[in-house]
Amino acid sequence: MEVKLHDIGEGMTEAEIVHYFVQPGDAVVVDQPLVEVQTDKMTAELPAPANGTIEDVLVKVGETIKVGTTVLSMITTSQPTSAVSEEKESTIEQQWQAKTFRIEKRKQPILASPYTRKMAREQGVNIEEIKGTGPAGRIVDEDVYAYVQKEKESLLQENSPTQQVMKQEKEIHIIPFKGRRKQIAKKMKQSLHTIAHCSHFEEVDVTNVLQWKEQSKQAGKNVSLTAYFVKAVSLALKDYPIFNATLNEEKEQIEVQTSHHIGLATNTEEGVIVPVLKHVEHKSLLTIQAEMRALTEKALHHTLSREEITGGSFTISNVGPLQGSIGATPIIHHPQTGIMAFHKTKKRPAVVEDEIVIRSMMNVSMTFDHRVADGATAVQFTNRLVELIEHPNLLTLELV
Amino acid sequence: MVVGEIAEQKDVVVIGGGPGGYHAAIEAAQKGFTVTLIEKEKLGGVCLHDGCIPSKVFTTAARKKEEILRFHAFGIDHGEVTFQLSKLQQHKRKVIEQLQKGVEALCKTNKIEIVHGNASFLSADRIGVDNGHQFDVFHFNHAIVATGSTPIHRSGVSFDDEKVVHDGSIFLLSEIPEHLVVYGSHSIAIEVAMSYRQFGSMVTLIMADDKNTLPYDTTITRELLRQFKKQQIKVYTGVKEFRVNKEASHITAMFQHKGEQDTLDCTHVYVASDYVPNVKELGLSRLGIQQGSNGYIAVDAHMRTSLPSIYAIGDVTEGPRLAVKAIKQAEVVAATIAGEPSEFDPTFIPEVIHSIPPIATVGKTEQQAVEEQFDVKIGHFSYGANGYATIQGKKDGFIKLVINQNNDVVLGFHAIGEGAVELVSTGTLALEMAARVEDLTFPHYPHPAFSEALSGMEFSAVKGKVRLI
Repeated sequence: MEVKLHDIGEGMTEAEIVHYFVQPGDAVVVDQPLVEVQTDKMTAELPAPANGTIEDVLVKVGETIKVGTTVLSMITTSQPTSAVSEEKESTIEQQWQAKTFRIEKRKQPILASPYTRKMAREQGVNIEEIKGTGPAGRIVDEDVYAYVQKEKESLLQENSPTQQVMKQEKEIHIIPFKGRRKQIAKKMKQSLHTIAHCSHFEEVDVTNVLQWKEQSKQAGKNVSLTAYFVKAVSLALKDYPIFNATLNEEKEQIEVQTSHHIGLATNTEEGVIVPVLKHVEHKSLLTIQAEMRALTEKALHHTLSREEITGGSFTISNVGPLQGSIGATPIIHHPQTGIMAFHKTKKRPAVVEDEIVIRSMMNVSMTFDHRVADGATAVQFTNRLVELIEHPNLLTLELV
Repeated sequence: MVVGEIAEQKDVVVIGGGPGGYHAAIEAAQKGFTVTLIEKEKLGGVCLHDGCIPSKVFTTAARKKEEILRFHAFGIDHGEVTFQLSKLQQHKRKVIEQLQKGVEALCKTNKIEIVHGNASFLSADRIGVDNGHQFDVFHFNHAIVATGSTPIHRSGVSFDDEKVVHDGSIFLLSEIPEHLVVYGSHSIAIEVAMSYRQFGSMVTLIMADDKNTLPYDTTITRELLRQFKKQQIKVYTGVKEFRVNKEASHITAMFQHKGEQDTLDCTHVYVASDYVPNVKELGLSRLGIQQGSNGYIAVDAHMRTSLPSIYAIGDVTEGPRLAVKAIKQAEVVAATIAGEPSEFDPTFIPEVIHSIPPIATVGKTEQQAVEEQFDVKIGHFSYGANGYATIQGKKDGFIKLVINQNNDVVLGFHAIGEGAVELVSTGTLALEMAARVEDLTFPHYPHPAFSEALSGMEFSAVKGKVRLI
């Protein structure tokens, strides 16, 4: 078989042979790169079209050849699999024949409506295992609920101390993928599927804002940095409202919201939840501080109302207090346009007016929906936010 | 072989633009995936270009032609009725063109990228597309194989696409056959026989199947055979060794019937095709994808193949060769890729024949239910006692329910008669809901209407053995 130089695209007519990955006599498998070529636009690899052995290399390295020229020749082998793997395959095939990859008509109809069957599917339950209590053995919604409940209970029992000792032998600990964890998974997946995520990072000098915080404290007003960040984000959103928008693809419009409802990603034992602080644009730092605390309390005690976890227009995630990361690529809370993470603060040498001084530095990570906005605007937004954090005095200019 | 690559990254790649493929592409696009659809010929597949759509244009014409002869009773008189096949062909082309444009527009609206060429897998995450002068390589996260099936024409018959035709050419005839011999017993063969009969051909229908091995409920088969007789279509069943002899313009069909050699002179022969899945060029064996008998791609109820990144739907998988199956599987595969719980359940797929009168069935036949050891009860209503059928002059036909006698659950719904194609949806719904007889007979049905048949059923128990014709 001859391996030829092919039109790789963009209307190329010739290419230079840069490097051979193989030499005559080498055994190659299908798709293994054989040779690297360079056109005026790009470098590309030619892969082996089949399993086989390289017979001859026909063009020297450094030569420029036209499309269609044979680069090397190879002898193909038709049976790549060894006897052992074939044997293995046939056992797999038998297993598969017996089990998985077959769809068959049901001999006995399932006595449940499509709706009830869907419920079971969503709960991850095989409906055929459920015993119906309805007329003539019909499986009704309650039967599915009862079955799921029973499963949960038996799972709890299995997790009792005595059972756990036995279970350790299995070296696997089952965490039910249900409830909030499943909700989180669903939301994250939905977001990643629809939104064109684009992240960037910036560092912020928080020395001044820490001083400001200390001063406020001395004055008897305790305001957390998170509250300050929430307010600063709101002010930056006022200047760059595109990050406070929702893309409505159906109507082909970007809906920019004038109210700043800031979601606060809050960590709880059951997983992250995002209570929403409404109308930040009309609220003072002290109000923000008070309401934020109330929301966090509610989050930890599972008393958040539906109202309090919906309607956000931008989300912030302050992971700084966890003393963890220096950067992240946060996933946008669908259908919002932006999310910002605030990372840990650390004293670091910094250059101020050509002198190395010790400053408290913090990183921020900003993810935005590239379908809605572009990188330049996002950078401007972040710069504005950095400015507002680095110079707390600027906030007085925004007093209403 | 010419190779070379800069692989483009794709999210979801669909191979094949038939009803399965384009529905899967649209469903996936609507779930937020970016989708690339690879098609080697025209969007629409066999369904639009050679199958469902052309055949239904013909059966619709046949039904209209049959109806017009009854107009007189309603006081409508007209001049001599003529029929021009060429005009019907023109109309058929227009319908196909319109529908194809519709599919193209749908793909465009959903921002589906269409790539033309022959696709073959290079690895579990790469696919090559060859369109003659270019070979593109795409990296994909998910690939959906929806390449459909291809007719294989009966060996030993020399087809000429004019006098001796197969599935690909029967709806392309330019003249009405004087004597058409139809060989086959499935829906298209029956539709062809009845349509050309209405167009004025003499038609002989030859089936390899015995009366009792036809895939229909025996009561339906009995009525169907009666209709053939009524329409003067001669039927041979249980035929062996069918052959066609063509010498110049002289065509002879030869076969064995009831142990004797029979010969029929005719002007045209249509031999219904068998179908094989389009898997050859895909390079599946290289990937080790599990395949069942005859090359069908093995899939589970979520349309997953034995390779996690690759899925298969439609004719390329086992089961009835129906667009309804492919379309449902398209919904399921998109949901599976999006991580939503979803499953394909083939138990209750309705099957219809646009014969005169039409046939529509779903679920178990009486003989299947008996063979599977159910205690069977039959519900039956004949159109002869239906007021609306009398008004319409369409008194031939009935609805039959197959019922589990022990719990009254409906197991099958079989209808032959005017309106059957629409009525079968009621039956399918009943089966999916696991309805019991009362659930079907209790509701109010409009009066007068064909559907009233459902409320006036007569019931009788079947005494434990298969009733033959």
